[in-house]
Amino acid sequence: MAKPIVVSWQGEVSSFALTRISRSRLYGSRQRVHLDPTGARCQRAALTDDGSLLLEQGMTAQGYFDPSGEWVPNNTLTGMSPEGELVDKVDSTLGVSQELEGPLDPQDVLDLGVSSVYSLEPEEISESLGARLSEGDIFRFRFAYRAGFNTEMGILLGNEQGAFALVGRPQPTDWNELAQIVQPLDDDEDDDLDDDLDFEMF
Amino acid sequence: MPRLLNISNDEGRDARVQTKGAKPVPGNRLGRPDIDISFKRYLSTTQAGLHDDLVKKFGEDYAQALIDGDPETDIEQVGRSIATTHTVYLSGDGEVLHAPPDVVELILDPFGQERERRTPQEVEANVNDAMPVRWRRRRMARSELVRRFVIKRTLQIRHDSGITYDYLFKMARELDEASVVVLLGAGEKGREPLRFSQNGAPYQAFLEGRVDGERYKLLLHLSDMELKPPPQGPSDDSDDDSSSDDGGEG
Repeated sequence: MAKPIVVSWQGEVSSFALTRISRSRLYGSRQRVHLDPTGARCQRAALTDDGSLLLEQGMTAQGYFDPSGEWVPNNTLTGMSPEGELVDKVDSTLGVSQELEGPLDPQDVLDLGVSSVYSLEPEEISESLGARLSEGDIFRFRFAYRAGFNTEMGILLGNEQGAFALVGRPQPTDWNELAQIVQPLDDDEDDDLDDDLDFEMF
Repeated sequence: MPRLLNISNDEGRDARVQTKGAKPVPGNRLGRPDIDISFKRYLSTTQAGLHDDLVKKFGEDYAQALIDGDPETDIEQVGRSIATTHTVYLSGDGEVLHAPPDVVELILDPFGQERERRTPQEVEANVNDAMPVRWRRRRMARSELVRRFVIKRTLQIRHDSGITYDYLFKMARELDEASVVVLLGAGEKGREPLRFSQNGAPYQAFLEGRVDGERYKLLLHLSDMELKPPPQGPSDDSDDDSSSDDGGEG
């Protein structure tokens, strides 16, 4: 079981057990199953572009390679920022008290690209923090599920159903001005809308 | 690529505008300061190296055979870079199907148990440049939106002419001044959740406006789940092995 989220607000420590939630865990899911002519379940496989290899589950792996095609062992890699600078490894924040910042404006939550959502069960919660969450206040804290080179933003909030944490990265949006006319269609390759939204659900 | 969206305003007037997905800032990545590296998929073994084939050849306890002779490694093939592939289906006997397989749809409950089995239902997209998405009557404060729903994705709505600038700016100002978001609906009656692709997931869509002087933001927040605890089931445990770095489930 994962360590709890521990936060500190006005010098008082609170901790929450966390359970990841997703659409399928709340509502169920839909699966499409392929059957052969005898009614047996098919196995999905892949054929290489040149038709020379049939790839079944367990036949491929992924790894890092240098420009000459030599494999680069993972233990020689380090963390790099998007700008190409070295970054230090960070420990998991679970079980370690993180300072809460806030209360936040709801727009700060809407500007977060959410990657994970957790339902929180208070193990120990200060009276003042419990009261603030009940009143609708929203806080943020540092979050790293496991040790690595990334820290994300955690948002702590509550509603009548309980307490929750949203985890993700800031997602900036652009201001639009009259002089700024967007490019014609097809000029922008920086969009993956189709892939992102086309997944099977109810 | 920007997508066209036909959107109507509070007065029922519609216009075709463009949308673009908002993206989170990139995180740190693994790398080396001295060389450029790339992440690739490669062939790790051939079919002769899969468990079933090894069992047939060496029996269940084939560990020593792997150590002694590396039978799972075909040096002519292993390490080959895998780029574009095409999906194929294998029959229950492992043969490639040359005709499309039958498809059934399983509906699973939150605990992964089958609830229903049915013929797949094709559901058309209801967001396109012809039929407008409409404002519904439901308004809510931003604070209520973020505490009740998980926003899975946000689309920025943008003008492509002076006329649509006026149209969208007014819409953003109206919402910003009222400090509310409005629920949008699609379909002929404008009451359906938005479905962007055939058989794609339906989303409840909330339109938010922000204004700063002559500038505006019009953001379409898409949600497919509420903020509530998962149901408790007989086999439920609260353990969690997730990482927000893995992108979650699709």
